[in-house]
Order: sequence, then C-alpha cells, then structure tokens
Amino acid sequence: MAKLWTVIKREFIERVRNKWFVVVTIFGPVFFGVIMVLPGYLSVKGMKSARVADIRIIDATGTGLGDRVAARLGGGVTGQSGGGAAGEATGTQVLVVEPAKLADAESLATRDVMAKTRRGYLVLDSLTISAHKAHYAGRNASSLNELQIIENALRSAILGQRLEREGLDPKRVEALTRVRVDMASERITDKGRGGSGLGSAIFGFLIAFLLYMMIVLYGQMILRGVLEEKTTRVAEVIVSSVSTDILLAGKVIGVGAVGLFQQLVWLGSAAGLYLFREQIFSKLGMPTMPAMPLPKVPAELIVALVLFFILGYGLYAALFAAVGAMVSSQEDANQAAQPVIMLLVFSIIFAQPVMLNPTSRLAEIVSWVPFSAPVIMPMRMAVIQVPWYELAGSLTGVAITCALCVWLAARIYRVGLLMYGKRPSMRELVRWIRQS
Amino acid sequence: MADLALEIRGITKRFAAHLAVSELSLAVPRGAVYGLLGPNGAGKTTTIRMILNVIAPDSGTITVLGSPNTSPGLLDRLGYLPEERGLYKKMQVRRLLRFLAELKGVDARTADARIDEWLDRLSLRTAEKDWGNAKVDELSRGMQQKVQFIGTLLHDPDVVILDEPFSGLDPINSQALKDTVVDLKRRGRTVLFSTHLMDNAERLCDSVCIIARGEKVLDGTVSGVKSEHHKRNIALSLGGETSGEVSAILADRSQVARMDDSNRFFEIEMAPGGDPQLLLQRLVAAGAAVHRFELIQPSLHQIFLERVGAVGVEEGMSGHG
Repeated sequence: MAKLWTVIKREFIERVRNKWFVVVTIFGPVFFGVIMVLPGYLSVKGMKSARVADIRIIDATGTGLGDRVAARLGGGVTGQSGGGAAGEATGTQVLVVEPAKLADAESLATRDVMAKTRRGYLVLDSLTISAHKAHYAGRNASSLNELQIIENALRSAILGQRLEREGLDPKRVEALTRVRVDMASERITDKGRGGSGLGSAIFGFLIAFLLYMMIVLYGQMILRGVLEEKTTRVAEVIVSSVSTDILLAGKVIGVGAVGLFQQLVWLGSAAGLYLFREQIFSKLGMPTMPAMPLPKVPAELIVALVLFFILGYGLYAALFAAVGAMVSSQEDANQAAQPVIMLLVFSIIFAQPVMLNPTSRLAEIVSWVPFSAPVIMPMRMAVIQVPWYELAGSLTGVAITCALCVWLAARIYRVGLLMYGKRPSMRELVRWIRQS
Repeated sequence: MADLALEIRGITKRFAAHLAVSELSLAVPRGAVYGLLGPNGAGKTTTIRMILNVIAPDSGTITVLGSPNTSPGLLDRLGYLPEERGLYKKMQVRRLLRFLAELKGVDARTADARIDEWLDRLSLRTAEKDWGNAKVDELSRGMQQKVQFIGTLLHDPDVVILDEPFSGLDPINSQALKDTVVDLKRRGRTVLFSTHLMDNAERLCDSVCIIARGEKVLDGTVSGVKSEHHKRNIALSLGGETSGEVSAILADRSQVARMDDSNRFFEIEMAPGGDPQLLLQRLVAAGAAVHRFELIQPSLHQIFLERVGAVGVEEGMSGHG
C-alpha cells in the first residue's frame, strides 16, 4: 500500500506542478466567465443601436391608441412626422392617418424599413379596437422575444383604453396597467417541486459536458503517461520495484485525483464569480441579471454523479492505459486510441437528443449502455426523475464493465509495458491477455 | 544453502513459439560478482526479468536470499539497472531519485541524505552547480546514466542486478561502474550482471554462466572455467608487417588448431601434437619480429567463441537478449 501511495503521490504532484496545469486551472474559470458574460455584454451594447421601440406606429384607429403603445414601449417618442425619414430614427414614431390613407402610409413605412431608418412598423386600425387584431412588419419579425415585447405593449394599451372607457381615471389606469411580470419556471417531480426547469436543464447539460471533458482529458493524460513510461523505458526500472497492477492503479487514481482537484478549484471560483456577479456586471455597465435560479441538487444526484464519474473515469482510464501499453509511439497511440474516443464521442452526440426528450426510448437505451451511461445518466437525472431500477441497473452495468475493462487493461498493460516495436494484432492481444 | 544470494532451478520460459529460456539452473553465492554471459537473444534479459518477478517462469523455481522471489518485500532488497535505460524527462533529479527510493521502501529523509551523498560522489553536485535541482532532460547523457546508477543503488540493495551495464557508457562512466562493482563486492553485496563483453566479465567476475539460445552452455568460477578449458594457448605479438611466410606458418593446421587474429596480436590454440617451441623457431626463422610469445590460459572470449560458436547465435524475438 505504501508503494501505491508513492505512485499516486508522484502522479499527482508532478502533474499539479506542471506550468500548463496551473495556467489552465487558474485561467479556466476566467475564460468561462468571459464566455458567459460576453454575449450578455455584447447584446446590451447592441440593443442601444437597435432597440425594439424604434418602430413606426401607423395609427388609423382615431382613438390615440398608437400613443399609448408608444408610451408603453418606453423608448421615447419622436413625434409625428409627415412621412419620410427625418434624421435619427430613435424612439417610437407615431403616425396618425385616416383609414383611407392607410395603404399609402404602409408602403412608405415599408420603404423606410428597407432603408433601415426604422426597424419595423405596427399597423393599428378599426379591427384592432373591435377584434384585437394588429399587424406588424419589420426586420425583427423573426425575433420572438422582440415581438413579444411589442405584443405586450399593445395588449396593455388596449386594456388601458378599455378601462378608461369604463370610466376610470386615466392616471389610475396608467398606474394599474403598468405591470411587469417576471415568470420563473419550476420543475415538478414525483418528490414535489424542485428548483427551476431551465436551471436544471442547463445544469444537466453542464454535468454531461463536464463528465465528458474530464474523461477525455484525463483519460488521454493516462495514455500519454503510460506511453512516456514506455518510450523513455522508465517502466523497466519501476516494474522491478512495484507490480504493474500497482503502477496502473496508482496512475489511474493519481490522475483522477488531479481531475477532481481541478474541478474543485473551478467549482470554487465559479461560486465566487456567481456571488460577486453584481459587482462584475456593474463594472461592465450591464444591468444586473436576475439571480439565475440555481437548481436544488438533491443528495442522491450528487451521490450518483460521483459514482458515475468514478466508474466512468475508471472504465475509460483503463482502456486508455491499455492503448498506451500496446503502442510504442505517439502516432500509433493516436490511431489506437480512436476506437476509445469514438465510444466517448458517441455518448456526447446523444446528449442533445436525450436532453430534449429525456423520457424517450433512445434516452433509456443510451443510459443503459455502459459506455455512454456515465455521461448520459447523470444528465437525465438532473432533468427528470429516473426510476430507481433504471438507475440501479445502469450503475451495475457500468460497474461490471468497468471491472472487466480494468481486468483486461491490467493484463494488456502487464505484457505490453515491456514490449517494444510494432503494434500487436488482435490475435496477439488475445494472447497477451491469456498469457499474463 | 543459506549462503546463496540467488538460486535458480530449472526455469523455462516460452513466448508463443519461441523458447526464450530452457531448463536453466544456476547458483550465485553471496558476496560474489557473477556474470551472465551470452550473445544477443540468448535469454539473458528474460532470465533477469524472471529473477525480478516481472514475468513468471512457466516452470522452475527462483530463490533469492533464501526465499522465493515472489515473497513480499523481497524486491526491496534488489537493485536493478535495466539494459534499456531511461528516466522521467520532466522530473527534477532529486524528486525522481526520492521517488525511486520510496518505491524500494526507503523513507524520504533517509533517501534525501543518501541522494546528497551520491550526487557528491559522482560529482553531480559541485560548488558551481547542483544538478540535483535540474530537470532530467537538462542533463547530458552521461549525467543521466549516473543518475540511473544512483537510482539503482540508493536503497543499498543486497543483490544488485545489472543488465548489459556497459552498453552505451563512455569510458569515464564505464570506469565509475567498475569501481562501483568492486566497492559493492568489498561491502559484501552480491552483483549479478549480464554482458556480451568478455573482457569486462573476465576482469570483474568471480563466476560466470554462459548461455546461448536460452540454454546454459557452461558455468563455474572464472578460474575453474579456464582451467577446464586448459589447452596450450599462446599469446603472440608481432612487430612490423606480417609476411606471407609468417601467415603460412600460422595457417599450418598440424601446429595451429585455431587462431584469433587481431592483426598485431594473435591468440593461438595449439593443435594436438603441436609444439610451441617448434612454432617459435619457425617464426623466428621466417624473420618475424616477435615481441611477445607466451603460453597462456585461454581467455573467456576464446572459450565463449569456442563454445557458443558451436551452438550458434540467434536473434531473440523480444529484441533484448
């Protein structure tokens, strides 16, 4: 056991001391933080030049509804202009027209939108009052978010107008109808309510992606480590002190510990970024985002996550180690590692369809397959309630496959570590496994 | 038999169709310097790997220091310098040596003290520079070889196994290694090394075992082996050009059974019934400038060629010997 510890210690310390590891571990969160904040920052900047409110309202209702909508869009009013583009086109422009001249006003507005002096135009006519029908045309007609803002403004304007007609004081109406609703979505499982729906979807994806990255990065690290020991012939000395089994175990555990350590550092700094997000956002001149609803992570998910990570990592680490022991050069290693990488890529390819439909048959199948289960199952668990028997079955399957892979890898490793030259054929591999 | 450092009984190892070691037995007394001699592919490395329990023999037993070589903790008493040498390139020398020592069960503090001692001894630590703090790949090849020796001996092993230790060494490190072997013997340690360089073996070894094609050809003490092969051998050294007449005399099969021609130096095995005095007279009569004419015991090299030449040399499948 003391020797196992010595091997683990070396693997851990040598890797953590590495310059690149330090750089990636410290700057990784900064990098991810930038990636997450940057789109928000850019869209805030972008909004200023292309705001939703920069539209023309062609009001043929004769009731002043257009002004009400403009007020509710809140982008400022540029006042009536007889037609044509007049200078800077910011703020909402309200054009009151006779119903008969509506068609002319519309074609003029179309030209203005094409000339990019207006973002779009909203047509209000008698139908708007009687049947709540309106018509919008613009460059942003495909942006659901922006259309919703306009629709909301219109709805609230009509509502205000109706209330006034019922005899309410316009000022009261104004105050009463200015309601902003912020709807948070929440997910309900067998256990009851459990955090936000969107939050857990993001969380699920994040888990799958992190597990995938960890397994790929650290699995390849094992491959390179084994190959290094082989090509530099250090293995020759080391196997005269410890058995290959201990060497393999120490390597897998040591590298796994490096991965966990890095994740802890990242989690810690992510938590820090989250806690101080207000300060960071205000520094960048961005409106503070509403607190992203953090999903409540149940204890059994954490336990399952750790189990799947350990078993999944163990499984792939063993396969990568076997590949490393089989080959004698980096080029050969790249080729020989491909089947293993394919298995991993296959799991991450299924992440999206499974995410979109976590209860589908496909989702069930890939969370039973031991090679994809470690990535897929924790992700599914984050979004839906996975039946316990599925979870237990999947875990058992991964555990058995992991044990099998470790057993096979240990045998290949034992023989391969001191074999140089060409890559073994399938038949030779089988002989290695039998021989040791 | 407690005074045996190593006892091998009838070990056989087969790789697929290739018989690497066949029914090999040998005994190495404690405190001896023992040479395992043989051509490339003879099974030397395979034998050593079996002694170190890296691979298991198909049959036969190996006893090291009185217990089976599979006993726990036994490997800690062995030091091994492999033929294919290498170190972790990116590791600091001192940390690497500490790691190797800890793998042999030496605690870090003891290891650190010994590392300093060895670095001084092999002048890897001088007033100007302490190479112990450098990374392995900053060291020259010769210095890396020194680090490798240190790694082999840091835990003060009772039995030291060196596989082709002289291959790739410059003359300075080669001498350092010989000094180390002598020093180890003086301190009662047992040294087993494999080599195909007979000169080194002859000078260093108390006993030898010659193997070829995985089988033992002969073994015993160096003096025993030589006297067993006692034939009338002559060391002949000539000055000036070797004339055709002299060559003809040396080619006379009634006098000379075998001759190892090193251009200016000849090791001659007399034919049965040949007469050294007659040979000398003829050479002088032919005008050869005789610098040396001495009756000698055959060298290990001669014995090796004679015995192994008959068995033949075959390249091994592992490429290791």
